[in-house]
Amino acid sequence: MTDGLAYCQMVFDAHENPVDWIYIKVNKNFEKLTGLKNAEGKKVSKLIPGIGASNPELLEIYGQVSLTGKPKEFEIYVKSLSRWFLVSVFSPQKNFFVALFQNITDRKQIEKNLDDAKIAARNVLDDLNVEKSKVEIAHAKEKAILLSIGDGIIATDEKGNITLINKVAEKLLDIKSEKVIGKVFSEVLLLEDEKGVSIPLQKRPISMALAGTTTTTTTTAGSAYYYARKDKTKFPVAIMVTPIILDEKIIGAIEVFRDITQEKEIDKAKSEFVSLASHQLKTPPTAIKLLTERMLSGKTGKLTEKQKEYLNDVYSENQRSIELVNALLNVSRIEMGAFTVQLSEKNIRAIVQSVIYELKSAIDKKQLRLEEVHQQKNISLLIDEPLFRMVLNNLVINAVNYTAEGGTIHIECKEVNKGEALGEKLLAENSFVIVVSDTGYGIPKNQQNKLFTKFFRADNAREKHTDGTGLGLYIVKSILDNSGGSIWFTSEENKGTTFYVVIPMTGMKARVGKKELVEI
Amino acid sequence: MAEDKKTKILIVEDEEVICKAYADELRDEGFAILTAKNGQAGLELALREKPDLILLDILMPIMDGLTMMDTLRQKDLYGKNVPIILLTNLSASEEKIMKAIAKNEPAYYLVKSDWNLSAVTEKIKERLARKV
Repeated sequence: MTDGLAYCQMVFDAHENPVDWIYIKVNKNFEKLTGLKNAEGKKVSKLIPGIGASNPELLEIYGQVSLTGKPKEFEIYVKSLSRWFLVSVFSPQKNFFVALFQNITDRKQIEKNLDDAKIAARNVLDDLNVEKSKVEIAHAKEKAILLSIGDGIIATDEKGNITLINKVAEKLLDIKSEKVIGKVFSEVLLLEDEKGVSIPLQKRPISMALAGTTTTTTTTAGSAYYYARKDKTKFPVAIMVTPIILDEKIIGAIEVFRDITQEKEIDKAKSEFVSLASHQLKTPPTAIKLLTERMLSGKTGKLTEKQKEYLNDVYSENQRSIELVNALLNVSRIEMGAFTVQLSEKNIRAIVQSVIYELKSAIDKKQLRLEEVHQQKNISLLIDEPLFRMVLNNLVINAVNYTAEGGTIHIECKEVNKGEALGEKLLAENSFVIVVSDTGYGIPKNQQNKLFTKFFRADNAREKHTDGTGLGLYIVKSILDNSGGSIWFTSEENKGTTFYVVIPMTGMKARVGKKELVEI
Repeated sequence: MAEDKKTKILIVEDEEVICKAYADELRDEGFAILTAKNGQAGLELALREKPDLILLDILMPIMDGLTMMDTLRQKDLYGKNVPIILLTNLSASEEKIMKAIAKNEPAYYLVKSDWNLSAVTEKIKERLARKV
């Protein structure tokens, strides 16, 4: 038995109030559990002085049990002993009681620790809540920053449902955030091309971003996208969409867009200026050309060798300025939509050969080797001949200008079927393909994405050939874009460049110019 | 060859120097040359002198070349049939010009800056030869 046991006699005062007790018998464990020695025969008030004041309930309970004979069990902390006890007490006869007890100080300590732990946990939780609200404030601030950005912002989840739309976007699109959050972007954002035709879903920048096609950007130049509002008004827009990536997964897309009405107007004014200037600029060199030609023909009298040489120089320099003005005029025509594609069946091989023939002297002058491969003897295709010639002429002239002496130019015409690969791309339909490749200077990797941009000239091109206009490839690309064709290239610096011109086997697409150029 | 036996060509062009270059060249080639500086003057001259061929600029003050061509073609039998070669600074495939040409045959269309004098002369001779 590990319990302590004490058999005691209760001492009452005259009013039967318990005032003390006397230990009659205690067991061995008593001393161990209480630390009280030689207790038998002693009054508790002597053994534990002050017990009456510190634990009055003990006297009370023992007194009651001794008087009534009703047993009790309770826990008590005895201050003077600094111990916790679990006590069961019963009365074998009136005025006497037996107390059986255990020292439960350790258990109590554990319980206390547990309580302390609980309190500590509660404190941590409180701290966490404070932190959480701090984070929430920071989050709200971030969101406020996002919502207040001066460009339109729209975010979607991975399914394309709108999760965020900022104030500028609300204003530009005339929509309310609370009405569109959770809706699929394509139902809310009405994206159209210049003609008011909806952009197909798979070509929408957000779709492309969600499909993982990295960042999609629409340009401000040339044909733009428009956002249409509910009231049918619309505005031209420059869009950039980036996939939102978390843990290497696309979890949504974020679109930044901007109203580019002003840019478009400036662009238009610029085009009109170019058109006006082009006409005015063309007349003087035309007059110079005609007069020079008359003098060179000898009809105005015999020229000395030196005069002839100078006049030839005048003629070719003048020709250069005519070509530049022509290029500018073509650009403005393209940009203003005053651009007509007139189709007729033409023998491609004959045109290719005639373009090459016209450039023969330039090719020979640089001692370039020219390879010409035609898959078929004769092939007729619906094309606009002047435009097709312009495309081919530009590509071959570039190959000549940007290939060192002794290099090779390779021109190949062939049919390529739908789904077959050509220059790192797969063809979307059965096509006629003209491949123009050279062993020239190539285009630096970091500038390749700008090659078809107006007035762009690659650094190495600028170095090798100073008098390019930066318009040729822009015109070529615009012609093909506007006639159902396409063009791209592969290039490696100091190895060479290959251009791929693709025209559907069904031919170019006819097109009627939208407006006349300004006539001066 | 007597002056009145020569083949007559009317040049309607507002740019004096360009007009002079064509006139001198064609005179050297043995043609009799008339010149006018706008469509109005050109129209009157054409109806009075009935040239065998008209070289016609498009962009001109007072009356432009296309208007002159339209008016001439509706005027009389001569006006309906006289060959016209349009000279212009505009590039090919300009919708308005193509339509005007289709409507007003026989008419041809040359871009001034793309053509040199001898080629234009060739074209004129070729056109006149076909008339016979």
